[in-house]
Amino acid sequence: MNRGSRRLALIAIAIAVASAVPARAHHSFAVYEPALQIKLSGVVTTLKWTNPHVYLEIDASDPKTGETRHWLLECASTSILNRAGWKFNMLKPGDKITVIVSPLRTGEPAALLKQVTLADGSKYSNGAAAGRVTIE
Amino acid sequence: MTTTIRLQTVGAALVVAAVVVAPAFAQSRSTSRGFTGSWEAYPLRGEGFGSGVQPKVRVSPPAPIPEPPLRQPYLDEFRAAQARNAELVRKGLPPVSTGMACIPEGMPGMMQATFPMEILETPGQITIIEEAFNHVRRIYLGVPALAPEDAEPRFAGQSTGRWEGAVLVVTTVGVKDSVHFRNTPHSMKIRITERMRLVNDEMLENQVTVEDGEYLTKPWTWTWMYKRWPGYKIQEYVCEDNRYFEDPTLRYQRLRVQ
Repeated sequence: MNRGSRRLALIAIAIAVASAVPARAHHSFAVYEPALQIKLSGVVTTLKWTNPHVYLEIDASDPKTGETRHWLLECASTSILNRAGWKFNMLKPGDKITVIVSPLRTGEPAALLKQVTLADGSKYSNGAAAGRVTIE
Repeated sequence: MTTTIRLQTVGAALVVAAVVVAPAFAQSRSTSRGFTGSWEAYPLRGEGFGSGVQPKVRVSPPAPIPEPPLRQPYLDEFRAAQARNAELVRKGLPPVSTGMACIPEGMPGMMQATFPMEILETPGQITIIEEAFNHVRRIYLGVPALAPEDAEPRFAGQSTGRWEGAVLVVTTVGVKDSVHFRNTPHSMKIRITERMRLVNDEMLENQVTVEDGEYLTKPWTWTWMYKRWPGYKIQEYVCEDNRYFEDPTLRYQRLRVQ
Protein backbone atom coordinates (compact mmCIF):
# COMPACT_ATOMS: atom_id res chain seq x y z
CA MET A 1 0.00 0.00 0.00
CA ASN A 2 1.57 3.34 -0.98
CA ARG A 3 1.43 6.45 1.19
CA GLY A 4 -1.51 7.98 -0.72
CA SER A 5 -3.74 4.93 -0.57
CA ARG A 6 -2.81 4.32 3.08
CA ARG A 7 -3.86 7.89 3.85
CA LEU A 8 -7.14 7.37 1.99
CA ALA A 9 -7.73 4.12 3.91
CA LEU A 10 -7.11 5.91 7.22
CA ILE A 11 -9.50 8.69 6.23
CA ALA A 12 -12.13 6.08 5.28
CA ILE A 13 -11.71 4.35 8.63
CA ALA A 14 -11.87 7.69 10.45
CA ILE A 15 -15.09 8.55 8.63
CA ALA A 16 -16.55 5.10 9.41
CA VAL A 17 -15.66 5.44 13.08
CA ALA A 18 -16.81 9.06 13.32
CA SER A 19 -20.12 8.31 11.66
CA ALA A 20 -20.64 5.16 13.72
CA VAL A 21 -20.10 6.73 17.15
CA PRO A 22 -23.06 9.12 17.40
CA ALA A 23 -25.61 6.75 15.90
CA ARG A 24 -26.16 4.82 19.16
CA ALA A 25 -28.59 2.49 17.39
CA HIS A 26 -25.79 0.06 16.73
CA HIS A 27 -23.38 -0.83 19.48
CA SER A 28 -19.71 0.08 19.70
CA PHE A 29 -16.77 -2.31 19.75
CA ALA A 30 -15.36 -0.56 22.83
CA VAL A 31 -15.55 -3.75 24.92
CA TYR A 32 -12.52 -5.03 23.01
CA GLU A 33 -8.89 -4.01 23.47
CA PRO A 34 -8.52 -0.97 21.20
CA ALA A 35 -4.89 -1.51 20.22
CA LEU A 36 -3.99 -5.12 21.10
CA GLN A 37 -4.18 -7.72 18.34
CA ILE A 38 -3.30 -11.41 18.68
CA LYS A 39 -3.11 -14.33 16.28
CA LEU A 40 -4.88 -17.62 17.00
CA SER A 41 -4.83 -20.86 15.05
CA GLY A 42 -7.58 -23.35 15.66
CA VAL A 43 -10.51 -25.40 14.50
CA VAL A 44 -14.01 -24.08 13.75
CA THR A 45 -16.72 -25.47 16.02
CA THR A 46 -19.67 -23.32 14.87
CA LEU A 47 -20.49 -20.40 12.59
CA LYS A 48 -23.73 -18.64 13.53
CA TRP A 49 -24.79 -16.68 10.44
CA THR A 50 -27.06 -14.22 12.26
CA ASN A 51 -27.76 -10.51 12.64
CA PRO A 52 -26.93 -8.07 14.08
CA HIS A 53 -23.64 -10.00 14.17
CA VAL A 54 -22.21 -13.24 12.92
CA TYR A 55 -20.44 -15.31 15.59
CA LEU A 56 -17.63 -17.73 14.89
CA GLU A 57 -16.53 -20.17 17.58
CA ILE A 58 -13.18 -21.92 17.50
CA ASP A 59 -11.01 -24.14 19.67
CA ALA A 60 -7.54 -22.66 19.62
CA SER A 61 -4.38 -23.24 21.59
CA ASP A 62 -3.39 -20.35 23.82
CA PRO A 63 -0.31 -18.64 22.36
CA LYS A 64 1.26 -18.39 25.85
CA THR A 65 0.29 -21.61 27.67
CA GLY A 66 -0.42 -23.93 24.75
CA GLU A 67 -3.69 -24.92 26.42
CA THR A 68 -6.74 -25.30 24.16
CA ARG A 69 -9.44 -22.69 24.81
CA HIS A 70 -12.85 -22.18 23.28
CA TRP A 71 -13.13 -18.70 21.73
CA LEU A 72 -16.16 -16.68 20.68
CA LEU A 73 -15.26 -14.37 17.79
CA GLU A 74 -17.53 -11.46 16.91
CA CYS A 75 -17.92 -10.66 13.25
CA ALA A 76 -19.87 -7.93 11.43
CA SER A 77 -23.44 -8.34 10.10
CA THR A 78 -24.25 -10.96 7.45
CA SER A 79 -24.62 -8.17 4.88
CA ILE A 80 -21.22 -6.62 5.64
CA LEU A 81 -19.54 -10.02 5.43
CA ASN A 82 -21.32 -10.80 2.14
CA ARG A 83 -20.10 -7.48 0.74
CA ALA A 84 -16.58 -8.22 1.99
CA GLY A 85 -16.59 -11.46 -0.02
CA TRP A 86 -17.65 -14.02 2.60
CA LYS A 87 -20.27 -16.73 2.02
CA PHE A 88 -22.65 -18.17 4.60
CA ASN A 89 -21.25 -21.68 4.07
CA MET A 90 -17.61 -20.67 3.77
CA LEU A 91 -16.63 -22.13 7.16
CA LYS A 92 -17.68 -25.51 8.53
CA PRO A 93 -17.03 -27.30 11.83
CA GLY A 94 -13.62 -28.92 11.67
CA ASP A 95 -12.09 -26.34 9.29
CA LYS A 96 -8.62 -25.22 10.31
CA ILE A 97 -8.28 -21.44 10.32
CA THR A 98 -6.00 -18.70 11.56
CA VAL A 99 -7.46 -15.45 12.86
CA ILE A 100 -6.19 -12.06 13.92
CA VAL A 101 -8.39 -10.67 16.69
CA SER A 102 -8.65 -8.04 19.43
CA PRO A 103 -9.61 -9.79 22.69
CA LEU A 104 -12.16 -8.59 25.22
CA ARG A 105 -10.75 -6.22 27.84
CA THR A 106 -12.19 -8.46 30.59
CA GLY A 107 -9.89 -11.38 29.73
CA GLU A 108 -12.79 -13.68 28.86
CA PRO A 109 -12.14 -15.89 25.77
CA ALA A 110 -13.98 -13.71 23.28
CA ALA A 111 -12.62 -11.33 20.66
CA LEU A 112 -13.42 -9.06 17.77
CA LEU A 113 -12.35 -10.60 14.48
CA LYS A 114 -10.06 -8.53 12.26
CA GLN A 115 -9.12 -11.10 9.64
CA VAL A 116 -9.57 -14.81 9.01
CA THR A 117 -7.22 -16.94 6.92
CA LEU A 118 -8.63 -20.20 5.54
CA ALA A 119 -6.69 -23.43 5.06
CA ASP A 120 -6.17 -22.58 1.38
CA GLY A 121 -4.51 -19.29 2.35
CA SER A 122 -7.36 -16.99 1.31
CA LYS A 123 -7.93 -14.04 3.65
CA TYR A 124 -11.19 -12.27 4.52
CA SER A 125 -11.60 -9.07 6.51
CA ASN A 126 -14.37 -8.27 9.00
CA GLY A 127 -15.26 -4.96 7.32
CA ALA A 128 -14.18 -1.38 7.95
CA ALA A 129 -15.96 -0.94 11.29
CA ALA A 130 -13.91 -3.74 12.88
CA GLY A 131 -10.72 -1.92 11.98
CA ARG A 132 -7.66 -2.95 10.05
CA VAL A 133 -5.09 -5.59 10.84
CA THR A 134 -1.91 -4.26 12.43
CA ILE A 135 0.03 -7.53 12.89
CA GLU A 136 1.08 -10.29 10.51
CA MET B 1 -52.62 -26.42 -41.02
CA THR B 2 -52.13 -27.38 -37.38
CA THR B 3 -48.95 -25.32 -37.31
CA THR B 4 -50.82 -22.27 -38.68
CA ILE B 5 -53.52 -22.57 -36.01
CA ARG B 6 -50.88 -22.91 -33.29
CA LEU B 7 -49.06 -19.84 -34.57
CA GLN B 8 -52.32 -17.88 -34.65
CA THR B 9 -53.07 -18.96 -31.08
CA VAL B 10 -49.62 -17.95 -29.88
CA GLY B 11 -49.92 -14.64 -31.74
CA ALA B 12 -53.31 -13.92 -30.16
CA ALA B 13 -51.93 -14.75 -26.73
CA LEU B 14 -49.03 -12.35 -27.26
CA VAL B 15 -51.43 -9.56 -28.31
CA VAL B 16 -53.58 -10.15 -25.20
CA ALA B 17 -50.46 -10.16 -23.01
CA ALA B 18 -49.25 -6.92 -24.59
CA VAL B 19 -52.63 -5.24 -24.05
CA VAL B 20 -52.71 -6.31 -20.40
CA VAL B 21 -49.08 -5.57 -19.58
CA ALA B 22 -48.50 -2.39 -21.58
CA PRO B 23 -50.67 0.01 -19.53
CA ALA B 24 -49.16 -1.24 -16.26
CA PHE B 25 -45.67 -0.82 -17.70
CA ALA B 26 -46.49 2.64 -19.03
CA GLN B 27 -47.97 3.58 -15.67
CA SER B 28 -44.92 2.40 -13.73
CA ARG B 29 -42.68 4.28 -16.14
CA SER B 30 -44.67 7.47 -15.81
CA THR B 31 -44.62 7.13 -11.98
CA SER B 32 -40.83 7.07 -11.84
CA ARG B 33 -38.89 10.27 -11.33
CA GLY B 34 -35.62 8.37 -11.24
CA PHE B 35 -35.56 7.65 -7.49
CA THR B 36 -36.35 3.92 -7.85
CA GLY B 37 -33.38 1.67 -7.13
CA SER B 38 -30.75 0.91 -4.50
CA TRP B 39 -28.74 3.66 -2.82
CA GLU B 40 -25.77 3.79 -0.45
CA ALA B 41 -24.61 6.58 1.86
CA TYR B 42 -22.14 9.10 0.44
CA PRO B 43 -19.30 9.70 1.29
CA LEU B 44 -18.68 5.94 1.03
CA ARG B 45 -18.19 4.31 4.41
CA GLY B 46 -15.44 1.71 4.01
CA GLU B 47 -15.21 -2.00 3.27
CA GLY B 48 -18.40 -3.97 3.78
CA PHE B 49 -20.69 -0.95 4.04
CA GLY B 50 -21.24 -0.39 0.33
CA SER B 51 -19.97 -0.80 -3.21
CA GLY B 52 -16.62 0.92 -2.68
CA VAL B 53 -17.15 2.50 -6.12
CA GLN B 54 -16.79 6.26 -6.18
CA PRO B 55 -19.26 8.31 -8.26
CA LYS B 56 -18.26 9.06 -11.84
CA VAL B 57 -18.56 12.77 -11.12
CA ARG B 58 -17.14 13.74 -7.72
CA VAL B 59 -19.66 15.61 -5.60
CA SER B 60 -18.71 17.61 -2.51
CA PRO B 61 -19.68 15.69 0.63
CA PRO B 62 -22.31 17.38 2.81
CA ALA B 63 -21.26 19.32 5.91
CA PRO B 64 -21.23 17.39 9.21
CA ILE B 65 -24.52 17.32 11.12
CA PRO B 66 -24.49 20.25 13.57
CA GLU B 67 -25.19 19.91 17.28
CA PRO B 68 -28.96 19.90 17.90
CA PRO B 69 -30.17 23.43 18.83
CA LEU B 70 -31.81 22.21 22.04
CA ARG B 71 -33.51 24.45 24.55
CA GLN B 72 -32.24 24.54 28.11
CA PRO B 73 -32.03 22.51 30.24
CA TYR B 74 -32.05 19.88 27.43
CA LEU B 75 -28.86 21.26 25.84
CA ASP B 76 -26.85 21.00 29.06
CA GLU B 77 -28.24 17.51 29.67
CA PHE B 78 -27.37 16.50 26.09
CA ARG B 79 -23.78 17.78 26.38
CA ALA B 80 -23.29 16.11 29.75
CA ALA B 81 -24.59 12.80 28.36
CA GLN B 82 -22.31 13.06 25.31
CA ALA B 83 -19.27 13.66 27.55
CA ARG B 84 -20.28 10.78 29.85
CA ASN B 85 -20.77 8.41 26.90
CA ALA B 86 -17.43 9.35 25.34
CA GLU B 87 -15.70 8.67 28.66
CA LEU B 88 -17.45 5.28 28.99
CA VAL B 89 -16.37 4.30 25.46
CA ARG B 90 -12.80 5.37 26.26
CA LYS B 91 -12.84 3.06 29.27
CA GLY B 92 -14.25 0.18 27.21
CA LEU B 93 -17.66 0.37 28.86
CA PRO B 94 -19.95 1.34 25.98
CA PRO B 95 -23.19 3.07 26.99
CA VAL B 96 -26.45 1.25 26.42
CA SER B 97 -28.07 1.62 23.01
CA THR B 98 -31.40 0.78 21.40
CA GLY B 99 -29.60 -1.61 19.05
CA MET B 100 -28.89 -3.90 22.01
CA ALA B 101 -32.60 -4.74 22.06
CA CYS B 102 -32.66 -5.02 18.24
CA ILE B 103 -34.77 -1.86 18.07
CA PRO B 104 -34.54 -0.10 14.69
CA GLU B 105 -33.25 3.44 14.28
CA GLY B 106 -36.52 5.16 13.40
CA MET B 107 -36.76 8.64 11.85
CA PRO B 108 -34.68 10.48 10.95
CA GLY B 109 -31.76 8.16 11.82
CA MET B 110 -32.86 5.43 9.41
CA MET B 111 -32.25 7.84 6.52
CA GLN B 112 -28.52 7.99 7.25
CA ALA B 113 -28.46 4.65 5.38
CA THR B 114 -25.99 2.85 7.63
CA PHE B 115 -26.49 0.00 5.17
CA PRO B 116 -27.89 0.49 1.66
CA MET B 117 -31.55 1.35 1.07
CA GLU B 118 -34.02 0.74 -1.71
CA ILE B 119 -36.49 3.34 -3.01
CA LEU B 120 -39.58 2.18 -4.90
CA GLU B 121 -41.89 4.58 -6.74
CA THR B 122 -45.42 3.30 -7.35
CA PRO B 123 -48.60 5.24 -8.08
CA GLY B 124 -49.49 7.32 -5.02
CA GLN B 125 -46.69 5.97 -2.86
CA ILE B 126 -42.94 5.99 -2.39
CA THR B 127 -41.53 3.18 -0.28
CA ILE B 128 -38.09 3.28 1.31
CA ILE B 129 -36.67 -0.01 2.57
CA GLU B 130 -33.56 0.21 4.71
CA GLU B 131 -31.40 -2.91 4.77
CA ALA B 132 -30.58 -2.18 8.42
CA PHE B 133 -33.32 -3.75 10.56
CA ASN B 134 -35.50 -4.34 7.42
CA HIS B 135 -36.90 -0.92 8.35
CA VAL B 136 -39.61 0.42 5.99
CA ARG B 137 -41.11 3.86 5.35
CA ARG B 138 -44.22 4.39 3.29
CA ILE B 139 -44.63 7.92 1.97
CA TYR B 140 -48.15 8.59 0.71
CA LEU B 141 -48.43 11.13 -2.11
CA GLY B 142 -51.28 13.49 -2.84
CA VAL B 143 -52.91 13.20 0.58
CA PRO B 144 -53.01 15.84 3.32
CA ALA B 145 -50.31 15.71 6.00
CA LEU B 146 -51.46 14.42 9.38
CA ALA B 147 -51.50 16.81 12.32
CA PRO B 148 -48.90 15.65 14.88
CA GLU B 149 -51.60 15.06 17.49
CA ASP B 150 -53.49 12.76 15.10
CA ALA B 151 -50.52 10.57 14.24
CA GLU B 152 -50.14 7.26 16.05
CA PRO B 153 -46.53 7.17 17.32
CA ARG B 154 -44.30 4.90 15.25
CA PHE B 155 -40.56 4.39 14.84
CA ALA B 156 -40.62 5.62 11.24
CA GLY B 157 -43.38 8.12 11.99
CA GLN B 158 -46.04 8.76 9.37
CA SER B 159 -45.02 10.38 6.11
CA THR B 160 -46.80 12.22 3.33
CA GLY B 161 -45.17 13.69 0.26
CA ARG B 162 -45.64 15.90 -2.74
CA TRP B 163 -43.59 16.87 -5.75
CA GLU B 164 -42.40 20.47 -6.09
CA GLY B 165 -41.03 20.20 -9.61
CA ALA B 166 -38.17 17.72 -9.39
CA VAL B 167 -38.02 17.92 -5.58
CA LEU B 168 -39.82 15.37 -3.43
CA VAL B 169 -40.96 17.11 -0.26
CA VAL B 170 -41.77 14.69 2.56
CA THR B 171 -43.35 15.61 5.88
CA THR B 172 -43.09 13.17 8.78
CA VAL B 173 -44.93 13.39 12.08
CA GLY B 174 -45.71 10.84 14.80
CA VAL B 175 -42.15 9.70 15.57
CA LYS B 176 -42.15 7.84 18.91
CA ASP B 177 -40.58 9.90 21.66
CA SER B 178 -38.34 6.95 22.55
CA VAL B 179 -36.52 7.43 19.22
CA HIS B 180 -33.48 9.58 20.01
CA PHE B 181 -31.48 10.34 16.87
CA ARG B 182 -27.97 11.27 18.04
CA ASN B 183 -29.20 11.04 21.63
CA THR B 184 -31.50 14.01 20.97
CA PRO B 185 -34.84 14.02 22.81
CA HIS B 186 -38.00 15.28 21.14
CA SER B 187 -41.69 15.78 21.85
CA MET B 188 -44.67 14.46 19.93
CA LYS B 189 -44.82 17.87 18.24
CA ILE B 190 -41.80 16.84 16.13
CA ARG B 191 -42.11 17.48 12.41
CA ILE B 192 -39.43 16.35 9.96
CA THR B 193 -39.31 17.84 6.48
CA GLU B 194 -37.15 16.24 3.81
CA ARG B 195 -36.41 17.75 0.42
CA MET B 196 -35.03 15.06 -1.86
CA ARG B 197 -33.68 15.70 -5.34
CA LEU B 198 -31.43 14.07 -7.87
CA VAL B 199 -28.18 16.03 -8.14
CA ASN B 200 -27.32 14.03 -11.26
CA ASP B 201 -28.02 10.51 -12.57
CA GLU B 202 -26.25 8.79 -9.69
CA MET B 203 -26.51 11.13 -6.70
CA LEU B 204 -29.53 11.84 -4.50
CA GLU B 205 -29.57 14.69 -1.99
CA ASN B 206 -31.78 14.80 1.09
CA GLN B 207 -32.06 18.10 2.98
CA VAL B 208 -33.48 17.29 6.40
CA THR B 209 -35.11 19.78 8.75
CA VAL B 210 -36.34 18.82 12.21
CA GLU B 211 -38.74 21.17 13.98
CA ASP B 212 -39.94 20.78 17.55
CA GLY B 213 -40.95 23.98 19.36
CA GLU B 214 -40.89 22.21 22.71
CA TYR B 215 -37.29 20.97 22.54
CA LEU B 216 -35.55 23.03 19.82
CA THR B 217 -34.84 26.77 19.72
CA LYS B 218 -34.78 26.73 15.90
CA PRO B 219 -35.02 24.16 13.07
CA TRP B 220 -32.21 21.57 13.10
CA THR B 221 -31.00 21.16 9.52
CA TRP B 222 -28.47 19.05 7.68
CA THR B 223 -28.00 17.25 4.35
CA TRP B 224 -27.48 13.58 3.59
CA MET B 225 -26.33 12.27 0.23
CA TYR B 226 -26.73 8.89 -1.38
CA LYS B 227 -25.03 7.27 -4.37
CA ARG B 228 -26.96 5.01 -6.69
CA TRP B 229 -25.86 1.37 -6.60
CA PRO B 230 -27.19 -0.18 -9.82
CA GLY B 231 -28.20 -3.83 -9.50
CA TYR B 232 -27.63 -4.09 -5.74
CA LYS B 233 -30.15 -6.42 -4.09
CA ILE B 234 -31.06 -5.43 -0.54
CA GLN B 235 -30.25 -8.21 1.92
CA GLU B 236 -32.33 -9.55 4.79
CA TYR B 237 -31.51 -8.17 8.24
CA VAL B 238 -33.56 -9.71 11.00
CA CYS B 239 -31.96 -8.72 14.29
CA GLU B 240 -32.36 -12.08 16.01
CA ASP B 241 -29.46 -12.64 18.35
CA ASN B 242 -27.87 -9.62 19.94
CA ARG B 243 -25.34 -10.83 22.50
CA TYR B 244 -24.95 -7.40 24.04
CA PHE B 245 -26.88 -6.77 27.23
CA GLU B 246 -27.09 -4.02 29.81
CA ASP B 247 -25.15 -4.76 32.98
CA PRO B 248 -27.92 -4.53 35.59
CA THR B 249 -25.70 -2.80 38.16
CA LEU B 250 -23.24 -0.75 36.14
CA ARG B 251 -25.63 0.22 33.29
CA TYR B 252 -23.27 -0.28 30.40
CA GLN B 253 -23.06 -2.81 27.56
CA ARG B 254 -21.54 -6.22 28.11
CA LEU B 255 -21.09 -9.15 25.78
CA ARG B 256 -22.68 -12.52 26.59
CA VAL B 257 -19.72 -14.83 26.05
CA GLN B 258 -21.30 -18.20 26.97
